[in-house]
Amino acid sequence: MTTLPILTIQAAERLLNSLEDFLDKSEASYAMIIDRGGIILSQHGELPDNADPNIVAALSAGSFAATRELALRVGEADCSALYQQGAHSHILVTAVDDDIVLVTVFGKQTTVGLVKFYSAKTVKRISAILQELRQTQHVGVLFTKEDINAAENIFAQ
Amino acid sequence: MSIINYANKEIQFKVVYYGPALCGKTTNLAHIHSRVEEKNKGELVSLATAADRTLFFDFLPLNAVVIKGFKTKFQLYTVPGQVIYNATRQLVLRSVDGIVFVADSQWDKMEENVESFKNLQDNLARQGLNLDQIPYVLQYNKRDMPNVAPVHYLEYLLNNRGRRVNSFVGVATSGQGVFATLNAISKLLLQKFARETEESVNKHQKTAAPTGSTALSGIAAGIARR
Repeated sequence: MTTLPILTIQAAERLLNSLEDFLDKSEASYAMIIDRGGIILSQHGELPDNADPNIVAALSAGSFAATRELALRVGEADCSALYQQGAHSHILVTAVDDDIVLVTVFGKQTTVGLVKFYSAKTVKRISAILQELRQTQHVGVLFTKEDINAAENIFAQ
Repeated sequence: MSIINYANKEIQFKVVYYGPALCGKTTNLAHIHSRVEEKNKGELVSLATAADRTLFFDFLPLNAVVIKGFKTKFQLYTVPGQVIYNATRQLVLRSVDGIVFVADSQWDKMEENVESFKNLQDNLARQGLNLDQIPYVLQYNKRDMPNVAPVHYLEYLLNNRGRRVNSFVGVATSGQGVFATLNAISKLLLQKFARETEESVNKHQKTAAPTGSTALSGIAAGIARR
């Protein structure tokens, strides 16, 4: 399965709605949908300690990919979830499909059982939205060569 | 693959700095991090050993130019250069958009450079990719060392594929060549993106149904509502 090149406004709204509903029911504090490269597709809620979501996404993608690879090397057919139990904040990473994962951060206000239960339902919902998005031919925004050449230094010191 | 997010009006790219052990990949990111304005950068995260050798990856998120109202974002990663971490390199290469291959210019590192470049091609092949599809540039680093090979020899060794790519000399510890390299790979990615979206629009125009019920109209309607 290929990764998602384009996220439309409509699909982004539906993904956000699914995360809002998930956090509401599970009482988790934060959830994000990321691709396997660590790029955020959607997020909702608040991360503890004002953590940078981009960094959480990159580390989650790397961590989950490493755990999945580890599982395969010891003879497991797959690895669908990764749970990190902390003193205050816990993290559950759940595979949506081969390319997308759902990352959930939660604290003492809820339980891992409840989060797992609702994450399973949310994963199905997200999967359906992404499936629909992949099946539709989308057209991206047009940049011309001139637009790019006009941006002489993409990064300035 | 780059992701266009119409809701946030963002386009995101993943760039991986690849190369043999101790060639200066992390130093490139550290220099970039030290020079980019605060508002345009995130934290530089290094998953390293106690001896400061990269264990998993370094990561630096950057905001770049705005083009036609869309923010461009680049996520920079390094791979661990040590041979034993090949499984980790494969993971970091997932969903890569562009590559900076950092070579160590010292004579005694030539074999490692060639092996690492071959390893890059092998690891891309495992994902069904190759260097003809992925934009990449070369950086010949450590030009300040006393025993460096001439640039034309490095070109002969590493830039000898059918498609010659941009190459830069660098001294990452002082910042020489670091931003030239970064700007070059970023521009290549944006050019590829522009080319692909143009092809996509052309293809769409040829196949669009006369009813107008298309993804393009859906996107346009979405933008208009904002």
